[in-house]
Amino acid sequence: MPPNGTSQTRSQRALDLLNFFVADVQTGFGPFVAVYLTMHKWTQVQIGFALTLSTIVALISQLPAGALVDAAPNKRRAAGGALIGVIVAALLMAFWPSDLPVLVAQALHAFSSCVLTPAIAAISLHLVGHAALGERLGRNASFAAIGNGLAAAAMGVTGTYVSSQSVFLLTAALCVPALLALLAIGRGPHARQQTTTQLFDWPGLRRLFTNRQLLAFGVCVLLFHMSNAAMLPLLGATVTMRTGTFANLIIAACIMVPQAVVALCSPWVGRSAASRGRRPVLLLGWAALPLRGLLLAVLPGAWLPVAAQAISGVSGAVFGVMLPLISADITRGTSHFNLCMGALGLAVSLGAGISTTLGGWIADTAGVQAAFAVLALVGVLATLALWLVMPETTPDPPRTDWQARQPPPAGSE
Amino acid sequence: MSRNAPTSTHMPQRHLRAVFALLLTAAAAPAGEVQQVPTDQALAILGQKVADPDGKDIGRLVDVLVGDQGLPQAAVIDFGGFMGVGNRKIAVEWSALHFAPSDAKHPITLDLTQDQIKAAPEYKDVTKPAPVVVTPETPR
Repeated sequence: MPPNGTSQTRSQRALDLLNFFVADVQTGFGPFVAVYLTMHKWTQVQIGFALTLSTIVALISQLPAGALVDAAPNKRRAAGGALIGVIVAALLMAFWPSDLPVLVAQALHAFSSCVLTPAIAAISLHLVGHAALGERLGRNASFAAIGNGLAAAAMGVTGTYVSSQSVFLLTAALCVPALLALLAIGRGPHARQQTTTQLFDWPGLRRLFTNRQLLAFGVCVLLFHMSNAAMLPLLGATVTMRTGTFANLIIAACIMVPQAVVALCSPWVGRSAASRGRRPVLLLGWAALPLRGLLLAVLPGAWLPVAAQAISGVSGAVFGVMLPLISADITRGTSHFNLCMGALGLAVSLGAGISTTLGGWIADTAGVQAAFAVLALVGVLATLALWLVMPETTPDPPRTDWQARQPPPAGSE
Repeated sequence: MSRNAPTSTHMPQRHLRAVFALLLTAAAAPAGEVQQVPTDQALAILGQKVADPDGKDIGRLVDVLVGDQGLPQAAVIDFGGFMGVGNRKIAVEWSALHFAPSDAKHPITLDLTQDQIKAAPEYKDVTKPAPVVVTPETPR
């Protein structure tokens, strides 16, 4: 830990706020875009095109965006640029919801998100270093979940009772405190070891992409999202089908209850990953998937599935903390941390794409119960894959006594 | 996916009749004449809110299925959900809809409650027969 304790405390608080506000500004750009464009008299074909464009841009931007953040000497500037991109995208959506502006906004937002996620992880690493990263990522995920849950509630209410435009105005407005928090973080004491000036370092790239740990984790991540991504949308449709009148309340609960669980679990996940190793924590998060799928397949009614959905908070907390943590393990001593996060982000996007297609198709042909059962089965495969191929990545040598005795990072009461 | 694509391509004589009727109308009206239709007399319905008989918003009208006479057969309503999660598209019988272009608050009313349409199969595939919810025997 650096001797300068108060500035470290301040930076950690600022990073908490950054995570909180960045999660906020992602909420409006989710499935709500389809609703918003419907209100602006977009046809179903046009809406489908805009959403597909956003998916494709997110898919192809992951690796370049990761490399870009690696090459940026100042990760805070990269995150700031991405936030300005989100502001522009949100204002375009709010004030100019016609063809070209919306397509530009969707593409801009997708690219900015691909920059923001690794940049925030890199800023965290610079601030606390590898030794305290688990704990820090736990805090990140916790504040992001609180931001996500509150933003969903606030935007749900303003979108319904004020105007649909207000959702995007709120998004743009919330980028401002995010930028202020970013400014307040300052240069991290561990920044030097992670900065590269080389954009194309071929031997390093070859080492990264033939790294067995990365390949193994990539497969596990892909399977995780293949099981995970379709569950919430399918549950939403099921809830709407089972209860006419209160469906939106129940779906809101399905979104917010897991975020509360993530907020509560994440700090514990971060600490456990540091003290007990990565594998047991990963197994817990992955194994929660088939359990949730199975419960969603068998639980009747509309309120009981909310309880099953709460389990997704455990998976969510583990995933949110472990993806950057394992990336940092794998790329320790190299300058490809963000590229590694991008590669795993690509696995997330691919897995999620397969999941929604597969889940939707099974739900149409064999019913929603069968779809949940198949997703649970994929979750079993994901857990097995993790158990069989994923090595422990806690850096060698393991934590020594002096590391274990270190006080927790300043400011984390 | 063009939702308005005619599904009955094996009835050319009907199509011919429709085209002929169109030509007749076109011939009757001098080209280029513009008539101003006030907003309280004609309503743009795509994306418009749909309310249930109690005046509660239940969804939005996103598409119209039209028969070979050009008459609307059914409306596709996107309903339910929270922030876009859990939305479903349901086709309802056209005659179950009532339009009031001058009523800014509830321009479209559906004669079915949310509970009556909740379990209807989702309208997804334009190439398959549309599952259209029809009104019960005794309309309100």
